[in-house]
Amino acid sequence: MNKNLYNENQTIEEIKNTFHTAEIKLQRESRIIVKLRSDLIPPFLSYAKNYLAFNHLAHFSCVDWIEDNEFELVYLLYSYEKNIVVIAKTRISRDKAEFVTIKHLWRQAETYEREIHEMFGINFTGNDRLNEFILEDWDDIPPMRRDFNTIQFAKDNFYTRPGREDAQDVRETITKKSGEKIPDFAKEFSVRNLK
Amino acid sequence: MREKETTLYFGPQHPGITGNMMVKLKVAGDTIVKAETHVGYLHRAFEKLMEQRTWMQSFPIVCRICVPEPDPNEENLARAVEEIEGREVPERAKYIRVMVLELSRLAAYFLWMGGQAGTAGLYTVPQWSVGDRDYILDLFEELTGGRIYHMYIWAGGVRRDLPGGFPDKVLRTMDYIESRLPEYDKLMFENAIFQKRAKGIGVIDKDKAMEWGVVGPPLRGCGIQHDVRKDEPYEVYDKLDFVVPTYEGGDIWARAMVRRKEMEQSISIIRQVIEKMPGGEYYNKVPNPLNWYVPPGETYVKTESARGEFGYYVVSDGSLKPRRIHVRGPAYVHGVSLLENILVGANISDVAMIMNSLGVCPPEIER
Repeated sequence: MNKNLYNENQTIEEIKNTFHTAEIKLQRESRIIVKLRSDLIPPFLSYAKNYLAFNHLAHFSCVDWIEDNEFELVYLLYSYEKNIVVIAKTRISRDKAEFVTIKHLWRQAETYEREIHEMFGINFTGNDRLNEFILEDWDDIPPMRRDFNTIQFAKDNFYTRPGREDAQDVRETITKKSGEKIPDFAKEFSVRNLK
Repeated sequence: MREKETTLYFGPQHPGITGNMMVKLKVAGDTIVKAETHVGYLHRAFEKLMEQRTWMQSFPIVCRICVPEPDPNEENLARAVEEIEGREVPERAKYIRVMVLELSRLAAYFLWMGGQAGTAGLYTVPQWSVGDRDYILDLFEELTGGRIYHMYIWAGGVRRDLPGGFPDKVLRTMDYIESRLPEYDKLMFENAIFQKRAKGIGVIDKDKAMEWGVVGPPLRGCGIQHDVRKDEPYEVYDKLDFVVPTYEGGDIWARAMVRRKEMEQSISIIRQVIEKMPGGEYYNKVPNPLNWYVPPGETYVKTESARGEFGYYVVSDGSLKPRRIHVRGPAYVHGVSLLENILVGANISDVAMIMNSLGVCPPEIER
């Protein structure tokens, strides 16, 4: 596939000239990854929106890199004119989980920030609506962090109905309780036995 | 004198709400002054669950993110894995995928038609459209074994080949659906009640639509011609001949007309796919699913679903399990920030109409 990458290369040049410290990679056709210092993210997003026509905030995500003790914030911007997705990434420390809001640029960013605040515990300064979004009365550590243990949480908060513990054959329990034998259909009516 | 304001809870138990969610309305008389979306009734932590499951075990989870149209989810995850791995997909599988995606789009539009007409008080349309949708579900049952959740598309291709005589059945169903569309026009789209309730209501500003993150039929209903199938063709959409219908106005009526025209395009795409479908393999051999290491990498893939751009941001760290799968559903923006804004100034009786026309679907918002 030998497509013309004119738009991509031009965008990379423009970003390079304005943000000298940015690490830029052309991932594939119409995907550009830009890694930036965390303090350069707000100016970059504003520049991309107003000067490079990336006016659609397609997605805003967060990845927990617990081994590096860092959160990675990922902004996906799309330009309808150039047909390119720019993946702007930055890393912030897990110990000081705080970042600035971008809701003045895209109002739908508020919703993404509310979710990331709830799921990862990152505080977005300037966003005054970081209230309860999906979870209700949550007092544990933010659940999408890698150190949140779902199995332990389930064990602590829920109980198993007697006779329905894990790794048990339910048919055995029924047999024991009611005394009647439940046939094993898979065994008795398998093709081999019917022959 | 200013009218007294009251709070009205629209949902979660309300016939007009589109799923398990609630809109808290502040009303003065009949007019909405403030709207706030509340979700959380359907949160099942899919993204967290997938971090603890193998790649293959994630496929039965993602399809449950959208009930009316589960296939874009499966296709997105499959394509993301293929893209990170650099895995090739046989040509036949790509055609089958497009057929499944378009069938699911038609099924979703039938369900939308029932909901949209139902909210305007036309209760015959839901009876018809849900019945006609069932013919598509019958096809899905024969092809995949499941009526609603198919788990049919997976990395490397599709799960099974088409059963004998299946293309003819699809074509017969398409002929039937095409013959039914004029009936729906008479019953719903040319109906004075529907037109009066839809025209000029729930208007999205054309100049702001892109910036506000509006996608899919609501964007095309503003007269902006953008579709992921054309902008960034995936599978075999670049080899198929179809147009992207648009309509001016940005109101419920415009969005309805866009969807109505897209139904014809989908039928035409399905016919082309069946005509052009090559023979050969329907999947490439993949590693043992329990021992399937996906190399480190990341990708953002997107599909045009019946409600707009459906995107998956997928990160792999080289292990057996995904590092992060973050789903971008169109309802995430339509159902929260957009809905809260365009409901202001609307009438209480139009809330359900507006929600339906935007395609708000809470499982996408909270996953």
